[in-house]
Amino acid sequence: MSSKTAKPVMHSAAWRISLWATLAFACGTMVVFAFLHRFVSNDIQQRTDAWLAGEVEVLGDVAEHTPKDALYDRVVSEVAELASEEVPNRLRSEGRANDLVFFLQTDTKGAQALWVGTGSGAPYLDAIRRQPFPPDEPQHLRVAGSDVPFRVVAARIDDGSVIYLGLSERDELRVLRNLRLRFITWWLLLVMLGFVIVFYTTRRMLSHVRDITEAASRIGHSDLNKRVPTSARNDEVAHLARTLNRMLDRIENSMHQLHTITDALAHDLRSPLTAIRGKLEMSLSAATHGEQAEPIVAVIDELDRLTEFLNTSLDVAEGKADALRLSKSEIDLDELLRGMADLYEPSMSEKNLRVALKSSGPLAMRADAGLVHRMISNLFDNELKHLPAGCSVHMRLEAEQDQARLSVEDDGPGFAPEILPHLFERRVKGRQSSGHGLGLAFVEAVARAHGGSVTASNREEGGARLILTLPRGLAQEPAATKDLAMLPVSASRA
Amino acid sequence: MRLLLVEDEVEIQALLRSGLEEAGYEVDVAGDARQAEQLAMASAHEILIVDLGLPDRDGISLILSLREMGVSAPVLILSARRSVDDRVRGLEQGGDDYLTKPFAMAELLARLRNLLKRNNPGVGEPTRLRVHDLELDLLRREATRGGQTLQLTPQEFVLLEYLCRNAGRMVTRSMILDKVWGMRIQPDTNVVDVHIYRLRGKVDGKGQQPLIRTLRGVGYVLKDR
Repeated sequence: MSSKTAKPVMHSAAWRISLWATLAFACGTMVVFAFLHRFVSNDIQQRTDAWLAGEVEVLGDVAEHTPKDALYDRVVSEVAELASEEVPNRLRSEGRANDLVFFLQTDTKGAQALWVGTGSGAPYLDAIRRQPFPPDEPQHLRVAGSDVPFRVVAARIDDGSVIYLGLSERDELRVLRNLRLRFITWWLLLVMLGFVIVFYTTRRMLSHVRDITEAASRIGHSDLNKRVPTSARNDEVAHLARTLNRMLDRIENSMHQLHTITDALAHDLRSPLTAIRGKLEMSLSAATHGEQAEPIVAVIDELDRLTEFLNTSLDVAEGKADALRLSKSEIDLDELLRGMADLYEPSMSEKNLRVALKSSGPLAMRADAGLVHRMISNLFDNELKHLPAGCSVHMRLEAEQDQARLSVEDDGPGFAPEILPHLFERRVKGRQSSGHGLGLAFVEAVARAHGGSVTASNREEGGARLILTLPRGLAQEPAATKDLAMLPVSASRA
Repeated sequence: MRLLLVEDEVEIQALLRSGLEEAGYEVDVAGDARQAEQLAMASAHEILIVDLGLPDRDGISLILSLREMGVSAPVLILSARRSVDDRVRGLEQGGDDYLTKPFAMAELLARLRNLLKRNNPGVGEPTRLRVHDLELDLLRREATRGGQTLQLTPQEFVLLEYLCRNAGRMVTRSMILDKVWGMRIQPDTNVVDVHIYRLRGKVDGKGQQPLIRTLRGVGYVLKDR
């Protein structure tokens, strides 16, 4: 894909589409996971609570029925230890269960009576005292010095003492952390994979659109025989391509009709003109006296002017409809301009006009040589006809990257303000003008047909300024019309 | 010199025929492509004039089929069409020429001469041209009249050379623009006339016989007699 305007990928529609699609996918999966996480953590907590409730009941029974003698502590501790062996959610690798479970019994005054667990029972008791403990309702307990909270349940025994059974939430938290970690890893992978897949599919799809755009932009003025690429698939993009092609068919058809009409008109007028001119020439050669010849010569002049008017008029009409046919070849605009200046120089100096031509050197471009010749000659004719004696014309030809820019400035009276906005329309001419009023319309038509433009303005210092820009068109259009259209510009000089 | 004229418009046919016969050509006339093929097979022609708009076939396809039949004579294509077909340009590259209607008879004759000359280069190109007491040295790009060197610009020399090569024959303004400046344009100002006036001022001095004559409405001629 040889995209001339290689935009950064971040500016492409495919990038934006895949970014938004991925974002939506990521958010969606995140919400689903949040629900799942909540469900799992609730489930684990319920299982913990069920175990705690069961164990505390057993312990309460044991504590109640064991006589408070020297063996009491041992019996209760044994039972507590035993219970801790059956901790739910326990990770197998974890050897010591002691630090997972604690058992605390307080006497009627609330002081510590029995402690089974790791380290001292004092911080646990402190923590328990700091919050209310309704019996048989498991609570969270944060103990100073321990980084994981405990789940603790209390049970009151008939003798007035309270027993507390606590289970560390360490394993529960670890399970949940593992879950999160795995989810995040998979989620990231999936999101990235999804992004890549969406990006490539949209890019592929949009590349068809881009191909169509590129092809459509290559279908230039009056070059309508090309079509945008279509694919065999039956999706929206293929539909777009087919619709475009049908539209081009219709445009080509109307263009063809226009050409048929203008060609027929030209042909039907030219044939009689040829016959008339021939007859006039014959009577001219038969005329011996100057007086006889004079009117014939005048008629021949008028006839030639009529022919030229017909040609230009049809060209302008086609140009206005973007239907001017071009037969392009490589020309040197600089050389052409110099030749033209050379041709017009005597006429100019005869009228006491000066022409200065500034150019940045040879300027190769692809254009219709015949039309460009006539266009430039129209520009010169225009100056020659309208400038009062003593004025000067400055022409400057510059090559910009891919276009040629010709500015024509004079220090004459400039364009009349009332005709300036309509300068390039047909039959618009100044009051004193003797021409047929097609000169600048023709210049505009040719510039347009080549994809260029022409602007006219009055200079602040006085005088007129015309700026003509033409694309050089060197890179594109490879071999299409080359072999036949290589007309040498400077034809043989006999 | 035998010439085949293929043109369907009767009026133009008659005009061309009389003009060509006056110029010394022996003219065969065909009104359509079929007749043209028959005539081309029946006898050999040194040059052909073919109109593009024939009733039965396109002029270009006629030229191409004549070429296939072995007709190698140069062709002057007449066209009433506005745009020059790429195929016409192709033929032009191949040594043929084209002329758009309406045209001056003088121009038609000049183009025929050019075509014939191109096909028969004959003896080597002369290095000097001589008309009366006007002499052009084509190598040194110098012109003298009656022994006096003329101060000509390079462009004026090319113009004078063109007139000398066609001495005694009329050339039109559009022929001058085409051959001297390489432009097929129709300026609606008198640019060519001014060049000729200037040249005349240099070539035809006081007391000398004027050589460059204006045929008003038609063109110019450099007198050779």
